[in-house]
Amino acid sequence: MLSRLFGCFILQLNRIRLFAGLPLDVVSGGTVNQFRAISAGLKALKLLGLEGVELPIWWGVVEHESMGKYNWSGYLTIAEMVRKAGLKLNVTLCFHASSQPKIPLPEWVLDIGKTKSNIFFKDRAGKPYRGCLSLAVDELAVLNGKTPMEVYQDFCESFKSAFSAFIGSTITGITMGLGPDGELRYPSHRGFAKSGTVPGAGEFQCYDKNMLHLLKQHAEACGKPKWGLGGPHNAPAYSELPTANTFFKDHGGSWESPYGDFFLSWYSSQLIAHGDRLLSLASSVFSDSAVNIFGKVPLMHSWHGTRSHPSELTAGFYNTATRKGYEEVAEMFARNSCKIILPGMDQSDKYQLKESLSSPESLLAEIGTACNKHGVGISGQNSTVGAPDGLKQIKKNMLSENLNDSFIFQRIGAQFFAPEHFPLFIEFVRKLNQPELYSGNLPTKEGTTTTTDSVHTRSNLSIHVQSA
Amino acid sequence: MATLAIGSLLQNPRLSSPRGQKLLLNLKPLHSLDLDCSPHRKLLCSRGACFSNSNPCGKFHIVKASSTDTAPIDTFSSADILYEQTFPVNRIEKVEGKLLIRLDQSKEQLNWRLTIGCSLSGKWILHWGVSYVGDTGSEWDQPPKDMWPHGSIPIKDYAIETPFKKPSKDDTFHEVKIDFNPSSAIEAIHFILKDEETGASYQHKGRDFRVSLVNYLEDDGNMIHTKRSFGKWPDAVEQLPNMVLKAEASCDSKNENRRLEGFYEEQPIVKEVSVGNMVNVAIRKFPDAANIVLHLETDIPGDVVVHWGVCRDDAKTWEISAVPYPPETTVFRNKALRTLLQPTGNGSRALFTLDEKLDGFLFVLKLDANSWVNFQGNDFYIPLSSARSVKGQSDSESEETSGKAHTDGIINEIRNLVSGLNSEKSLQTKVKEAKESILNEIEKLAAEAYSIFRSSTPSYPEEDSDADDAEPTINISSGTGSGFEILCQGFNWESNKSGRWYMELKEKASEISSLGFTVIWLPPPTESVSPEGYLPKDLYNLNSRYGTIDELKDLVKSLHGVGLKVLGDVVLNHRCAHYQNQNGVWNIFGGRLNWDDRAVVGDDPHFQGRGNKSSGDNFHAAPNIDHSQDFVRKDLIEWLCWLREEIGYDGWRLDFVRGFWGGYVKDYLDASEPYFAVGEYWDSLSYTYGEMDHNQDAHRQRIVDWINATNGTAGAFDVTTKGILHSALERREYWRLSDQKGKPPGVVGWWPSRAVTFIENHDTGSTQGHWRFPGGKEMQGYAYILTHPGTPAVFYDHIVSHHRSEIGALISLRNRNKIHCRSIVEIVKAERDVYAATIDDRVAMKIGPGYYEPPSGPQRWSLALEGYDYKVWEASS
Repeated sequence: MLSRLFGCFILQLNRIRLFAGLPLDVVSGGTVNQFRAISAGLKALKLLGLEGVELPIWWGVVEHESMGKYNWSGYLTIAEMVRKAGLKLNVTLCFHASSQPKIPLPEWVLDIGKTKSNIFFKDRAGKPYRGCLSLAVDELAVLNGKTPMEVYQDFCESFKSAFSAFIGSTITGITMGLGPDGELRYPSHRGFAKSGTVPGAGEFQCYDKNMLHLLKQHAEACGKPKWGLGGPHNAPAYSELPTANTFFKDHGGSWESPYGDFFLSWYSSQLIAHGDRLLSLASSVFSDSAVNIFGKVPLMHSWHGTRSHPSELTAGFYNTATRKGYEEVAEMFARNSCKIILPGMDQSDKYQLKESLSSPESLLAEIGTACNKHGVGISGQNSTVGAPDGLKQIKKNMLSENLNDSFIFQRIGAQFFAPEHFPLFIEFVRKLNQPELYSGNLPTKEGTTTTTDSVHTRSNLSIHVQSA
Repeated sequence: MATLAIGSLLQNPRLSSPRGQKLLLNLKPLHSLDLDCSPHRKLLCSRGACFSNSNPCGKFHIVKASSTDTAPIDTFSSADILYEQTFPVNRIEKVEGKLLIRLDQSKEQLNWRLTIGCSLSGKWILHWGVSYVGDTGSEWDQPPKDMWPHGSIPIKDYAIETPFKKPSKDDTFHEVKIDFNPSSAIEAIHFILKDEETGASYQHKGRDFRVSLVNYLEDDGNMIHTKRSFGKWPDAVEQLPNMVLKAEASCDSKNENRRLEGFYEEQPIVKEVSVGNMVNVAIRKFPDAANIVLHLETDIPGDVVVHWGVCRDDAKTWEISAVPYPPETTVFRNKALRTLLQPTGNGSRALFTLDEKLDGFLFVLKLDANSWVNFQGNDFYIPLSSARSVKGQSDSESEETSGKAHTDGIINEIRNLVSGLNSEKSLQTKVKEAKESILNEIEKLAAEAYSIFRSSTPSYPEEDSDADDAEPTINISSGTGSGFEILCQGFNWESNKSGRWYMELKEKASEISSLGFTVIWLPPPTESVSPEGYLPKDLYNLNSRYGTIDELKDLVKSLHGVGLKVLGDVVLNHRCAHYQNQNGVWNIFGGRLNWDDRAVVGDDPHFQGRGNKSSGDNFHAAPNIDHSQDFVRKDLIEWLCWLREEIGYDGWRLDFVRGFWGGYVKDYLDASEPYFAVGEYWDSLSYTYGEMDHNQDAHRQRIVDWINATNGTAGAFDVTTKGILHSALERREYWRLSDQKGKPPGVVGWWPSRAVTFIENHDTGSTQGHWRFPGGKEMQGYAYILTHPGTPAVFYDHIVSHHRSEIGALISLRNRNKIHCRSIVEIVKAERDVYAATIDDRVAMKIGPGYYEPPSGPQRWSLALEGYDYKVWEASS
C-alpha cells in the first residue's frame, strides 16, 4: 500500500525500472567532472522518480597507466553520490574506447598495439580498429604475458573489491562490455553514417592475423582448406550498398551457398563464443553478489527488410530470412543467467529511410521473441543519435513485451537538461506514471490487488499496467 | 500530579527557575509593538506571515541542567528545563492612515494649490506628472518647471518626484504642495505615492491617482471624485483660509468653460509594516512525573489561539494529545486541539502537559479568522524526543549540503504526504501542491545542471551534425545578433533599492539562461543623480545603486559563463552636470569627461548650452548633449569601447534615442561594434477622439526612420506593436493585429529583423506603470511576440511572476522550432475576438477568446501550449 501510494510520484511500481545514463566522461583522471551538475542532476532524477543511473566505467580511465594499476577514486565518488541521492547504480564496464568524447583504450594497451597491430580487428584493407581488442586474442597472452581474458578478470576482481560496500545495495546491475561500443558485435561499421544517407552493408572483420589463423584452422577441420584463406571476396565495402556485390544478393547471393553458410556460421559462432567467455567470467566473479549481469546486443536494423540482412551478418549475427540467428545469442545469455540490453528502443519504422529497408521494430520484436523463449530479461536503451518521436516510441516499447526489466535512458548532459528536452522528459516520465497516478489519488481496494498482481505475473503485464 | 506543580510555575514562568539568568540566555527582550503613531494611524489587522527573517533559528539551544548543582530546595528547582527555543516570527501588520487631497485657491488668489498629505509615517515621495488638454492616451508629461515644488527630481521626461515634508518637526503628518496656474492647459495631475523606506508604491484602485483640473472630463474610473464637501484639515496642518466652493478661473478667455472647483477628500491608505515578534517554547520535566510540561509564550498582541497536536514519529503526523488540556481548549475536527492563550502583561501564554513518550509537539498560531503564523512555511515543531536524549543539531553542515537539505526536505514531505494519505483521505489538494513543488524543484535542479553542463562541457558535435543543423543562412549584420536572440530585461524600476542588484542577478544567471534567453539587458551602470541610473553624471564612474564596478564585471563574467550576451544600458542623450556656470545653471561637467557648456545643446533655455541646436527631441530633466560636437562624439566612442573592453558588454540598449540623430548612433555602433544593439524610440501612437487609430503607419514609420538613420546598425523597441496589442486585447479588437496589407501592424511587420518586440518594461510597467500592459492579458502578449518574428524581449517582473513557466514554455517552443527574427508570419484570422497566425509553417497560434483550430493540411498540427485565451500548435511532420 505504501509503495503504491509512492507511485504518485515514483516509478517504483511500474514494472520497468527507469535509469538514466551518466555522461560518458563523468570521470576523467581520478576526478569527477561537473560535480555540481551531476549532484543537481541526481537530485532531479530522484525527485522525478527514477530508479537509478547508469555509470560507464572505462578500462582506459581506471587502468590507464600500466597493467594492474587501478584508479577507482572518481568512480567511487560517484557511487557515493548516487547512494546518498537514494538512487541505484547500474555499472557498465567498458573494455572499449569512445570516440566522442575521446576516451581511448589504456595507454599501455595502445603501446603494445603499436608493435602488434594484430591485437586489433582488421578489415579487408588491413586497417586496424583501435576501439577494442580482437576477440581472436581473448585467450592469447598478448598483454605483457597475460591474456586479455585474464586482464579483464583482474579488472573485474579489483572492481569488486573496491566497490564491495556498494555491490548488492547501491549497485544492482553490472553490464559487461563485449565489444565495440560495449556491444556484442564486430566493428563492421566504422564511424557513424551521416544521417539522411543510406548506411552501407558493413564489412566483415576477419582479417587480423589471429582471426585468419582461426579461420584457416576451422576450414581445414571442415575439409575445405581453400575456404580458410580469407573472408568472402564478393562482399561489398563499408559504405557500399549490399547490392554493390553479389555476396548479399537477395536471390542467389553467396550467403545462401555452402561457402556462405560455412563462413557465416564460423564468423557468428566466434562472436558468441567471445560473449560467452566474458559473460561467464562476469557471472563467476560476481556469483556471490546480489547483482544482475547484463550484456548489450546491437540493433543492426538497416537492411533488415532484405533476405540476407547484410548489416546483421557483417556484425556477426547469422540471422537471415531463413535462419533465426538470435536464438543462439539468447541461449548463450540464458546459459550465463545474464540479461540483455537492447539499444534503439526509440527507433520506429516510419522514420527510417525507405531505401535502407530498415525495420528496427520488427528486429526488436524478433530478438524479443528469442529472449522470451529462453527466459532472458530485456533492458532497453535509446540510441545515442536520437530519433524523432523517440520518447513516444520508448513508451510504446516499455508497455510492450519487448522490455521487461528496466530502461536506461541515454544520456545525462547539457542536451538532456536543456529547456528543449528536459520538460519533454518530465512529461514522458509522468505519462508513464499516469495509471499509477490516478489510482494513487483514489485509493481503492481493487487498486491494491491489481498492483500486486502486476508485480508478480509477467505474462499479461501490459494489460495490467493499462488497467491499474 | 504534574498539573499541580504547574500552578506555581504559572505564577512567574520567566523567573521560575533559580538559574533563570543562565537558562533564559537566548530569550530576547520582548519587542513591544510600536503603537506610537498619529491619531489617524490605527491597527487595522494583522495578517499572519508565514516566514521568519533570515535569522537562523533552526539550531536548538538545549540547555541541560546539571544535577550536581546544589540548588536551593524549592518547587522549581526540581524541574529541569530540557529544551528551550525562541522563534522569531514576522507578521505583516496593516496600518491604516489617510491620504488627504485638497485643491484650493492659494492666498494670492491667482494660483491654485493642490495639497497632498499623508498621515502615515514613512519616507513618502510623490511621483507625479500632468496631462494636457487634448492629450490622448495614458502617458504623462513632465509638469512645467514652475510647478515643481522645492526638492523635486525629474524622472525622465514624463514625471518628477517630490518628497513629502513635515509641516513641523514633530509631526508625523507629511505633505506636498503644488502650486499652479489654472490658466495653463493642464488637464489633470496624476500621481502615485511611494514609500522610499519599503520601496512600495501606492496607487488608486490599481491606477494612478488623478486630480482633474477641468470639470467636464468624463470619469474613467481613477479620477478622484471632486466632492464638494469640506473635510476638516487635520489640526497638525496650519489653518488654511476657507476654500471657495466654486472658483471661476477667470483669466483666460478661450477657456471660458473651464471652471475649477476646490475640494477636499480623504482616501484611506494602508501600509504594510512588518513586525517582529517571538514565540518562546520551553520544556520542563518534573522528577517522578510521567509527563513533561511545555510552556509556550508569545508577545503577539491580541487573542492568540494555538492550533496544536502531537506526533509519535518523524513523519510528523498530527495526533490529538491525551488529556489533560490547558483551559480554553477545544477539539478541532478531531484532528487538532485549539487552545486560547491566556493573557499576560505583554502577550499571552499557555502550559501543556504532555506524555514524555511522544516524539514531538506541533503547532501553528491562529491570530484571527484567517491569519496564521507558522514557522518558515512549516508547522512549528518542538522535538520532545530531543528532550529525552539531548541531540545536538549539527550546525557545521557545509554550504555544499544545504541544497541537499532542501531536497531532502521535499523527499520528507513526500513521505509525510504518504503517511498522511493513510490516515486521511481528502488530501488531494495537498498532493497537488506537493507535486507542484516537486516539479518546481526538479526544474530548478535541471536548470542548474544544464547551465553547468552547457558551460563546461566541450560541445559534443555529433559526427553527422553538419547535415542536420544547417541553419537557414542569415546575414548577420553588426548589432542585430544571430537572428535567434531572445532578450531578457534584467531589472525593474525597483532593482536599485537593495544596493546589490548585480549580486542578486548573478545568482539568477543560470536560471535565466536555462529559460532559453540569449541576451540580457542590464540597468544603466553609471553614477547617476536618480537611483535608477537614467540621469548619469560621471560616465566613467560605474559604482551605482546597482552595485560596484567590480560586482558588475563579476556579473557580466557569470552571465557570459552561462552563455548570455550582455547589453549595457547607455544614456547618451543627456548627462547631469557637476558644476554651475556663472548664472548658476548646472551645465559644466566634471569627472574624466570634463566638458564645458559647449557640450550642451543650445536650444534648451533651461541649461544655457553653447552647443548647436539639438538634433532631436529635448529631454528636459538634464542637459542634453550636443552630439554634433566632434569632441563629444570622440569621447563617447572612447567610452563605449572602454565599456566593451573593461566590463565585457556585448552590446547596447540605447536610452532616449529620440533625443538625437540616428546618424550619430551609427558612428557609435560602427566604432564599438556591438553584437546586438537596440534603441528606445518611444513616442505616442496616433489617436483620434481618444480612440487609437487602426493605422499606425506614421508611428512605426518614425521608428523605422530612426533605424534607417542608424543605417540598420541597431534595432528599436517595437512600441507600435505594444500599443496595438493594448487596444486589441483590452477592447477585444483583435482585428487591429493585421494591417491593411495583412501583415503585422507594428514595426515587426515592416522591418522584423530590427524590431525588438516587448509588452512591458521598467517605465511602462514595474512600479511606475506609465503605460501598463492590460492586466491579466500578459500571456496573450507573450504568446504573440514569442511566436512572431522580431526579437522578443521579456520583462524581468514577468519571469519572476507566475507567468514564468508559461513564458519558459513559449521560449523553448520558439527555440525548438527555430523561429527567428525573420520568420515568415501568415495571418490567418484577425477578427473581433480572435487573432490567429502561422509562423514558418511550423507553428500556429491564436490569441483571444474566439475559436480557431489550425486546419489539417500538409502538416499535422498538435497542440503544444495552451493558456488563458491563447493556444500554440506545432506541426508534427
